[in-house]
Amino acid sequence: MSDWLPKSAAGRRWLGLAPSYFVIGIFMLIPMVIMGVFSFLEPNPYGGVKPIGSLAAYIKIAFEYDLEDKLVFNPGYLNIIFRSFQLSFGATLLCLIFGFPVAYYITLQPENRRNFYIYLVTIPFWTNLLIRTFAWIIILGRGGVIEAPLLATGIIDDSLRMMYSDGAIAIGLTYSYLPLMVLPIYASLEKLDFRLLDAASDLYANRFEIMTKVVIPLSKPGIIAGCILVFIPCLGAFIAPNLLGGGKKLMLGSLVQFQFASARNWPFGGALSMLLLSVVIITLIFYARAAKNRAAMEGSA
Amino acid sequence: MTTAVDIRGVTKIYSPDSNQAVKALDNVSLTINDNEFFTLLGPSGCGKTTLLRLIAGFEQVSGGEIMLFDEEIENLEPNRRPVNTVFQHYALFPHMTIANNVAFGLERLKKPKPEIKATVERVLTLVKMKELGDRRPNQLSGGQQQRVALARALAPSPKVLLLDEPLSALDLKLRQAMREELKQLQRETGITFVFVTHDQEEALAMSDRIAVMSNGEIQQIGKPTDIYEHPVNRFVADFIGDTNFLDGEIVDLNDDLLTCRIGAQSLFETENSGHHKVGDQVTLFLRPEKIMLSVLDQENDSGNRPGKVKNLVYLGNQAAYTVDMGDGIELTAQARPREDGELPFAIGDPIAVSFSARALKVLAQ
Repeated sequence: MSDWLPKSAAGRRWLGLAPSYFVIGIFMLIPMVIMGVFSFLEPNPYGGVKPIGSLAAYIKIAFEYDLEDKLVFNPGYLNIIFRSFQLSFGATLLCLIFGFPVAYYITLQPENRRNFYIYLVTIPFWTNLLIRTFAWIIILGRGGVIEAPLLATGIIDDSLRMMYSDGAIAIGLTYSYLPLMVLPIYASLEKLDFRLLDAASDLYANRFEIMTKVVIPLSKPGIIAGCILVFIPCLGAFIAPNLLGGGKKLMLGSLVQFQFASARNWPFGGALSMLLLSVVIITLIFYARAAKNRAAMEGSA
Repeated sequence: MTTAVDIRGVTKIYSPDSNQAVKALDNVSLTINDNEFFTLLGPSGCGKTTLLRLIAGFEQVSGGEIMLFDEEIENLEPNRRPVNTVFQHYALFPHMTIANNVAFGLERLKKPKPEIKATVERVLTLVKMKELGDRRPNQLSGGQQQRVALARALAPSPKVLLLDEPLSALDLKLRQAMREELKQLQRETGITFVFVTHDQEEALAMSDRIAVMSNGEIQQIGKPTDIYEHPVNRFVADFIGDTNFLDGEIVDLNDDLLTCRIGAQSLFETENSGHHKVGDQVTLFLRPEKIMLSVLDQENDSGNRPGKVKNLVYLGNQAAYTVDMGDGIELTAQARPREDGELPFAIGDPIAVSFSARALKVLAQ
């Protein structure tokens, strides 16, 4: 063993992990710190920031200056944030409603066929999300795949106006992140001991009770993981809101993107990003707590 | 006597439409009486667990009928059958406490809360687990989980309790203790027990009646002593206990005795049951414990056969001897150690072997 290697086991472990610390530091931590610092500076109208400290970006989230230069409450951005939560929550719920039965169905298949189905679930990841979201414009749009036959057969005589609505955004988000719900639920259902279902039905549980009393409680780790994996990217999503919401119905993600691109207010974009980040961290802390409680409750085995 | 379970010509074929169809049960008929400890005994793959799962309702019969107290049940879902199962690996719900596990069946039956509480306490006391109601399954040892599984299945007071090799995962001492407890529990509760096992000792120790199964068919049904002393065929004789088999031909008979030739010239006498004639090829069987071994005394040879100790296996309370009788015949016999603990015979010793004609039995082919 060479002399320059650390002596202690902890030191060696650190050395072994050093490349990944390096990558995470360069590509994640430093950009995040830059973003955090920018959020406390003043915007440069031509893009970038002026090196002058300011809390203006954070104040702007809830307040604005009126004509007399007085600070007044403006719920505009808060409404967008609230809507983002609503839509993300709705999309997560839809993902759960569609994703759970899919995951359960796959679990019930013979082993050799399960991998094939999982492979099918992951196929959408092969194509760019932007292109896949464009496809939804063709499906939902005026005279699109859904409307055209209904119009032609006279079932409807005007456009359903499905595009550029909250519904369209929710559908787009659900579609985008459904695999992220299916996979963790499948992972926890796959470990489910199916003899427990026999035991439950032997003890007079009907099909519904088998689901609610045994299958769902035992797949809770997967359900929680899936919900977090869907909810977090939904909050920050901007492709679906921009394309399917028409850019008028903004969400937090599209608002951030807008600040860096068209509005040239980097500090405000940074402040919104920090807000988003803190929500994510709070969600993850909640998840870690829940996981720890569960582990404590079910013993170490 | 009331019939608890009536199995009528039940056949079970797995994946019948594919080319891998497996016939797990072939036209099986048997009746299990109320308040009986009935054991399905057989090697793995004999169909005993399949039969249990058919009674529980986890599988559907391919043919035949299953009646439970004169009621057809083969079309009922498991949750509509008044039977409960103790599973081989317990299948306790890991996300529930012991008390909630035991209460599960009662809650599904929509029993009133105070009654559920009282019943849970009563059955947990019955299996000596009252103190551990707040624990979770993975905090218990295998033996404790076994008791909880038993309590959970007993709590709804099933008409029939199905037990699928419940003791197989326990160590020897615990298994023996649980045998007695199970038997006692069955007597106390008066519930019909249908017990599946591949362990013949377990079956003999606990059962009122045993059905020996092999290849999806019932070989013999009877009391433990019937099965052990009067096996109907070679499979049953071989599966239950240790046995010597002697293949030979009947060469002479009178009203009382058959004389069989085994090997080239050894003659053995056995009781004449009246079913055989001279020239029949037969298999004789002889339990090792029915054979007396003694020191060979050439002078005073009265019906004793000479042999030579070929091998011995020391088992503590006894030793199993393999005796070479000459003429290609080997017998397994048992002998107790002497009071000073020494074994009476050693390998290579000449020895005298004796057994009565009644101990030697003719097996049906």
